[in-house]
Amino acid sequence: MSVLKLHPEKCTGCLRCELACSYMQTGEYQPAKSVIRVSPFEGHTSYAPYTCPQCAEGWCMTACPVGAITINAVGAKDVLDDKCVGCKLCTIACPYGTMFYDPATRKAFKCNLCGGAPACAEACPTAAITYEDVATADWLGDFAVERTARVLAEAR
Amino acid sequence: MAARHLVIGGGTAGMNAIRTIREEESERSSITLVSAERPYSRMVLPYYLDRSIAESHVFTATGKVLADWGVTAHLGKRVTALDTSASACTLDDGTTIPYDDCLIATGSSAVRAPVPGADGRGVHSFWTLDEARGVIAQIQPGSHVVMVGAGFIAFTILNSILSLGAKLTIVEIAPRILPRMIDDTGAALVQAWLKEHGVAVRTGAKVARIEDVKGRRRLKFAAGGDLVCDVVIMATGIKTNLEWLKGSPVKVNQGIVVDEYLRSSVPNVYAAGDVAEGRDLISQKAAVHAIEPTAQEHGRIVGANMAGKNVRYRGSLIINIVEVCHLDVASFGAWDDTGAEAASSVKADRPAYRKLLWRGDRLTGAIILGRSSDIWTVNDVGMLKGLVQSGVSLGRWKAYLKKNPFDVKPAFIAAKTTSTLLPETVLGRPSKAPGETPVAV
Amino acid sequence: MTPATSTAPAKPTTKSAATARPGGYAGNLLRVDLTRRTCRAEPWSPETMRELIGGVGLGAMILYRETATRDGKGNVSWDHPDNRLVLATGPLAGLPVWGTGGLTVCTIGAGTNGPTSTQANGFFGTNLKYCGYDAIIVQGQSKDWLYLYINDDVVELRDARSLVGLDTWETQGALYKETGLAGHQLSVYSIGPAGENLVRFAAIQGDYGHVASKNGCGAVMGKKRLKAVAIVKGTKSLRAADPRGVVQAADEIAHDLRTDASARSLYEYGTLPGVVNLSKMGALPIKNYTTNLTSNVAGADLSVWEAPKLRENFDHRGHQCNACGMHHCHMSVIRHGDQKGKIVDEPEYEGWSGCGWAIGAADRDSVAWLNTECDRACVDVNEWGWLCGWVMECQEKGYITREQLGFELKWGDVKGAHRLLQMVSRREGFGNVLAEGVKRAAEKLGGPAKECAIYIEKGATPRGHDHRSRWEEMLDTCTSSTATMETGNPVHPTEIGQPARINPFDGEQVAKYVAGLRGRRSFEDSLGICIFTSRTRLEHVCRALSAATGWAFTVDEALRFGKRTAVINRATALRCGHTGAMEYPSTRYGSTPVDGPAKGQAIRAQWEKMLDTWYSEVGFDRKTGKPLPKTLKDLGLDWLSKSLWGNKA
Repeated sequence: MSVLKLHPEKCTGCLRCELACSYMQTGEYQPAKSVIRVSPFEGHTSYAPYTCPQCAEGWCMTACPVGAITINAVGAKDVLDDKCVGCKLCTIACPYGTMFYDPATRKAFKCNLCGGAPACAEACPTAAITYEDVATADWLGDFAVERTARVLAEAR
Repeated sequence: MAARHLVIGGGTAGMNAIRTIREEESERSSITLVSAERPYSRMVLPYYLDRSIAESHVFTATGKVLADWGVTAHLGKRVTALDTSASACTLDDGTTIPYDDCLIATGSSAVRAPVPGADGRGVHSFWTLDEARGVIAQIQPGSHVVMVGAGFIAFTILNSILSLGAKLTIVEIAPRILPRMIDDTGAALVQAWLKEHGVAVRTGAKVARIEDVKGRRRLKFAAGGDLVCDVVIMATGIKTNLEWLKGSPVKVNQGIVVDEYLRSSVPNVYAAGDVAEGRDLISQKAAVHAIEPTAQEHGRIVGANMAGKNVRYRGSLIINIVEVCHLDVASFGAWDDTGAEAASSVKADRPAYRKLLWRGDRLTGAIILGRSSDIWTVNDVGMLKGLVQSGVSLGRWKAYLKKNPFDVKPAFIAAKTTSTLLPETVLGRPSKAPGETPVAV
Repeated sequence: MTPATSTAPAKPTTKSAATARPGGYAGNLLRVDLTRRTCRAEPWSPETMRELIGGVGLGAMILYRETATRDGKGNVSWDHPDNRLVLATGPLAGLPVWGTGGLTVCTIGAGTNGPTSTQANGFFGTNLKYCGYDAIIVQGQSKDWLYLYINDDVVELRDARSLVGLDTWETQGALYKETGLAGHQLSVYSIGPAGENLVRFAAIQGDYGHVASKNGCGAVMGKKRLKAVAIVKGTKSLRAADPRGVVQAADEIAHDLRTDASARSLYEYGTLPGVVNLSKMGALPIKNYTTNLTSNVAGADLSVWEAPKLRENFDHRGHQCNACGMHHCHMSVIRHGDQKGKIVDEPEYEGWSGCGWAIGAADRDSVAWLNTECDRACVDVNEWGWLCGWVMECQEKGYITREQLGFELKWGDVKGAHRLLQMVSRREGFGNVLAEGVKRAAEKLGGPAKECAIYIEKGATPRGHDHRSRWEEMLDTCTSSTATMETGNPVHPTEIGQPARINPFDGEQVAKYVAGLRGRRSFEDSLGICIFTSRTRLEHVCRALSAATGWAFTVDEALRFGKRTAVINRATALRCGHTGAMEYPSTRYGSTPVDGPAKGQAIRAQWEKMLDTWYSEVGFDRKTGKPLPKTLKDLGLDWLSKSLWGNKA
């Protein structure tokens, strides 16, 4: 399957992916409802997008007590709104922090790869997010190690 | 002859086991389910209570689904005896069911505090679907509801009661609320939050008796100060449903003692869910979690093993989350480990609290409290779970997190937690979608 | 299409209207009274949104309406509690159009003691709008230091005593710690020591490197004792009338920026190419306008100042504003020299000029460091360059003695410049004189020292070029009501009926051109978009605005709107006592280059003629400076005509 490959060294922290994602998710521009989130590293000098890795276990999916999380046609774990009751178990079961909950709709929501045409990848002006047929991986770890060295040194 | 599997209990553990058997078996086996109730999800009863979902939504497997799965179901029946030497069980209607292997997943039931009048009219438990029906029928807008007990179960239905327009008072015998879910500081914050949202809380209050007064309920307290209300909900604890197993050679401690494949002391008898004394992921000691996620993992592992796989159980993580008037309250792992190194931080300007517990440079437990709408709250809940679950070595990030417990993300990512987590699966393979049947595997 | 007009100075807070709120707007103005310590949301009507749009359009009207003296005859001065500090965004902010985190600051500034319109980007606009506000109007004065905290509906004035004395970056760091937030989750715009000490050219800096720098807006904030505005990225949604249309317009703008010859270098390298390009025109200011030859700067090798080399000299990292795809803003880690390992904001062209060439410094590492120090102490880097360069020249020539200054400051001495910066921003010693800005310091010293100082008679200073070879901007800056350029050169002048190119040293052509372009800048600065990402066809910008709001906004309406805004600022400036006599460059600013590409081009010889032409083209009265009644009528500003001309109109 294709997954979102993240290229943190290209991210400039412009948050356009969050806008595009929230628009896909809600029809409005509201990064608080985006399921891709840009995080700062090394204070304010470096940024990286972060989203659901579509893990093999699918902790959200297996935790759901009502089977409201399924696998969609492009292989993404996806929430079925009519089945989700909003119990939040998935938000705590997901060890990546990529399950979200919308207090307004009382539903969980997550990255569903926009059904095969991810809006974030389309919106990213620097191709820091690409949609590729590769195995999911930890795209940010090495980058984060390098770009946090200074912060860690200061924290001592 | 095809293997004959017997599953006793149609809750989360049992249904996950059945589904996993069907997914993993190499040839079609026969499965028999005995369940006192129709299979439903206890987790969603609060949403049934607040009428945001229909009753039909709570069921996890309909008759048709069970038929599709080829399950012979004895619903509304209880097992009265297990003859392990003959590998057969007897139901309360006298039926005898022979098996090649069997899963005990009979769960637990609510217990009421031993208070005179606790079994009277207008006093309810909220545990089973039947009990939920009873409570729903009683609560009207403006009703005054008294919840006796301030534990996790009580809190799961708190929002529902309020959303029905009822007035709520919580009564707890202990000096504080949520004693088995968060620490004193967290409890104090939640209590203040409740007060702000119009929920009265009486802690350290021992109910002496419950009386019927002109169709209403009067709670008399040991220390005085009566409360008159319309509905009393007793959420004073649960106990495992194991009385029927007395006399069998299945060894029971706090729950059924199981090995690392979740087999009991009788090799072809498995146990899962609230009745099983499985392993705690953090302490690696036997423990009865009595929580939904543990029941689900137990069920899946037992299902795979009944289907002939040899899946080892590495232990489950205690995870609890409850929303109280838009305040998320969550705890994981060994959050109450007094031997751990702890660091905590409270935000003065908003209800936000974090406590992180450490063994060496690994996070072994956490408490997190924050508004659902507070940015990062949700992400951090998951990430803290990931850090505890993966047990990654945080090295120098430990000092950073102790100082900045509200800035979890860089530590999570830079510790390469994702790399550690990605290969982890419960069954040693990617999970399958629940498909048409809402029992997730 | 009938442009919106009004018959009275419309209140931004008119009755809530029956019509639906246009897309792109959050719907409320946030009024903060520091004297009373109150914060309240004021809804504004769709009609007013259409009339004032946002940014400087909104800010100009608020200044006009709210900063008159109580007797109505004059205007309050910059340090009066009744002065307003308007921090406005616009309808495009928070939408996926490139560079739309915009902040426009409008206030009676400390430099000219007149109106101000100065911009910064970053994430101010996005965060504020997600909290539900389109602009913040600050009034009154606090006794104690406060900061404004905004998190959705939680709006509080909080104790800022612990932040006093911190520079802007430290302030943001302290607020990150206090709130437990990180990155763009919290946008902080604050003043540094310079603003606290009422330095006349103190600025407001936000989100590490975005500075609203003009006219001492930081001093206004300091006078009000407002240390910072901290805005959590709110959780409210923004709607667009035509979301697909917004993305299409954004794509068109992006395409233009990426491919148009005049915008492409900006797309790739931001303003870095300015150094080399402007030096070729003689517009790179060198050593306080004493020369236009880079070879006169010790150690200068122009080849390493080409944009790619300038950027690659540092460990550089993209640091863009909201939704921006430009390769413009960066953070850099210094790789060599004394400041090795330090994180700095990659200087804009103006930083390279103000902290570099204007003061005779050409060591890229130390110039970059000093530039960030200016942002942190928080002064306008342009005026800083003119001030520091002037002090250096005065020391060289003996007009300012070592004893006066307390040390010796030579051309290119960056460490010394830094020492001076600290003295100025803390008003220590001679720094107290210099903190009054170039014009006032020069006038205080008088004599030959005054002759070397670069300023505009209104009290402002120019942006960071040598305008002796960029006459449009000198004329624009001197005639402007907002203390900096009011017009600026667009990339597509023909789109608005102006020639593609003019003779830059023909005063008549220049004046006509500047007058003819009028309006566009004020329009752009009302939208919440960056000056650079709006360097595209105005048509595209209008299309983005229309898609966002649901209005059918035309290029004509845009220009008319911009001209109207500029006229309202002019009316306020007149009330502030600005006169035509102030529309002159200082001796040095208006001097004739002695070398370089523009050698011998004498603007002063043509100045009067340029003013005459400009006045007649824009329809203002040359004698009084007032917009003529006909001009006002054409712009739909009859109400203003009455107040400016009385019954004569």
